Amino acid sequence: MKRLGLVAAYAALALGAVVSLLPFWWMAIASTHTTSELFATPLPWLPGPQLLENLARLEQSTEFARVMLNSLGIAVVYTIFSTLVSAMAGYGLAKFRFRGRGVLLGLVLLTMMIPMQVLLVPLFQMMASIGWIDSYQAVILPFLANAFGIFLMRQAFLDFPDSLVEASRIDGAGELRTFYRVVLPVALPQLAALVIYTFMSQWNAFIWPLLMLNTETSYTVPLALNRMIGLTHVDYSGLMLGSLLATLPLLLVFLFFQKQFIAGLLGGAVKG
Amino acid sequence: MKSRSIVALAAVTALSLTGCAMGGTGPAATSAPAVTASAKPTGSITVWSWDVAATALKRLATEYQSSHPDTTIDVVDIGYDNAYDKISVGLQAGSGLPDLVTIETDHASGYLSQFPQGFVKLDSVIGDKKADFDPSKWAAATGTDGGIYMVPWDSGTVALYYRSDYLKAAGVDPNSLTTWDALIAAGERIKATTGHTLMSIDVSSGATFGMLMQQQGAWIFDAQGNVSVNSPQAVQALTVLKTIHDKGLLKNVKGWDGRVSSTKAGDSAVHPEAVWWIGTLESEMKELSGKFGVVPLPAFGDSARTAANGGSNLAVPAQAKNPTLAADFAAWVLADAKNQASMMEKEGLFPAYLPALTEPIFNQPDKYFGGQKVYQLFAEQTAKIPPVNFTGDAAKASDIVGNAVVAAVLNGKDPKTVLDDAAKQIATATGRQIAG
Repeated sequence: MKRLGLVAAYAALALGAVVSLLPFWWMAIASTHTTSELFATPLPWLPGPQLLENLARLEQSTEFARVMLNSLGIAVVYTIFSTLVSAMAGYGLAKFRFRGRGVLLGLVLLTMMIPMQVLLVPLFQMMASIGWIDSYQAVILPFLANAFGIFLMRQAFLDFPDSLVEASRIDGAGELRTFYRVVLPVALPQLAALVIYTFMSQWNAFIWPLLMLNTETSYTVPLALNRMIGLTHVDYSGLMLGSLLATLPLLLVFLFFQKQFIAGLLGGAVKG
Repeated sequence: MKSRSIVALAAVTALSLTGCAMGGTGPAATSAPAVTASAKPTGSITVWSWDVAATALKRLATEYQSSHPDTTIDVVDIGYDNAYDKISVGLQAGSGLPDLVTIETDHASGYLSQFPQGFVKLDSVIGDKKADFDPSKWAAATGTDGGIYMVPWDSGTVALYYRSDYLKAAGVDPNSLTTWDALIAAGERIKATTGHTLMSIDVSSGATFGMLMQQQGAWIFDAQGNVSVNSPQAVQALTVLKTIHDKGLLKNVKGWDGRVSSTKAGDSAVHPEAVWWIGTLESEMKELSGKFGVVPLPAFGDSARTAANGGSNLAVPAQAKNPTLAADFAAWVLADAKNQASMMEKEGLFPAYLPALTEPIFNQPDKYFGGQKVYQLFAEQTAKIPPVNFTGDAAKASDIVGNAVVAAVLNGKDPKTVLDDAAKQIATATGRQIAG
């Protein structure tokens, strides 16, 4: 009876795995065929011979290698600074006592309620008036302070014992040193989770980079892939290959930070 | 630093608010900026386009630069799928747009009525060429003040593509498909002999319904801008689609991908579609070469035998830094027979500039269509496309129209009733009168 339950559980899990992996399989298969073949009935389910041709066309029509570097640079710089800002602001809001702390935290959280569409035009005008349109800093800077990240890090630091911070101060460590050497290492799991989240959100960002970047060689991956949707011909095989390649960095970031990430997820599970 | 940035933020918010208010109130008191033609434009411009249109402009920009010293033209492919997000934000912000932008015909009227100050009037550059352009395109590029604000680029002239092998098997002569009634009768014969449906369309998109109205000179709105989606012509158009469905001759497919797959699989015998469909056929279904032919659309009585679906224009935003060069380049590319014909040959863009249609390329047989001179057929029809009034509210109406078409065609409702209902909804949504 128990065995039967186990079998059923595995069957359900296997089914779930197939359902969630099928789109990836199809993405990989589709990038090895011509677009014309992807419209055939029945659909092809086995690899075709077109992978290198598709790769060459992708590179030739969108300068994909360059675009991947752009995306990588933007996402890495954004992730480093955004997590830093989040950690520092979160630490400040959690551990420093000052007038208006609660109001400030409320204001930070309130920004999460402003829809992106409302921000677009005013932010665009700001960037235009500083002359930053078509620059990478215009893509990175406006969203560096991220309310979700600040809140996440504040919660992470909230349980950190005050006495440790005080001990560090008594031993003569400055505020920065206390932050980097004593406080931050304890919050590594949350930090790793935030890194994954931040990197993914910037890697997938579409509308803001679309508005800011006006040169084909400075595009990010989503913008470059968007160019493959034409008026009378959608280059699906190129799109699929590009999307497949674009998931690789995400996969690497996830695998690299995964150990910490899972620790972060479990962090709140057991109250100590 | 911090307080300064907050002041700046407040200032731009105020600015954008006034910008919106201006956009919403229709034509403002002051007239839109105009461009003065210059004998020798110089300097540099940036152009936004997409896909094959960008390819064409990049190619022609090089030629323009060599024949016009001291000019630099930088063409950027901004991607077609989300281009209007970029263009709309730039228009609203009043900055950030290039000197020349590509705008499709079905978006043209919307932009011109929403941003009457947003574009440069081009009367001094192409104002005398009205007779040389596809009349439907010229109408769509005309602003609320009667001035011309965009240079029409390519036409989406519509005709009826057919599978010659299916028609032959059913003993149907394509040249006999001169009316919709004749087409439906032929469809029944084709279904009986070959088992294929007559046409595969996405009913919910309402695009085919639009074509059938336009060929009768009717549309969702009439010439005065009143809602006319329940006109007798519209009811007639919807009744035809409903009849095709009720007789089991219609295959309803989802979106672009569904139509391409269905055509490739050979589900249906005919496809009422624009000239650019040739590009889709030749790139996605090479193996069907020799199996297609084209005839003009079937008519309603003595109506036109064509309509328009798609096509673009070039417009100079009011914020352009070098409007003179931008307008000159646009006219040089688009109001020129040789250059327009070269875009037909190399990029498959079908000219809206009528003098180009007498170039030799339009007289050549096309191998894909078994040697038929298909471009000649489209060229003959282009000047006959009935102009319709898109107004600034086409986007608001499109979902309502799509729902009405679905209700009548797929759910068996009476066409007149659903269109009366749709007219009321559109009138409420847009604040327009129902024509009557």
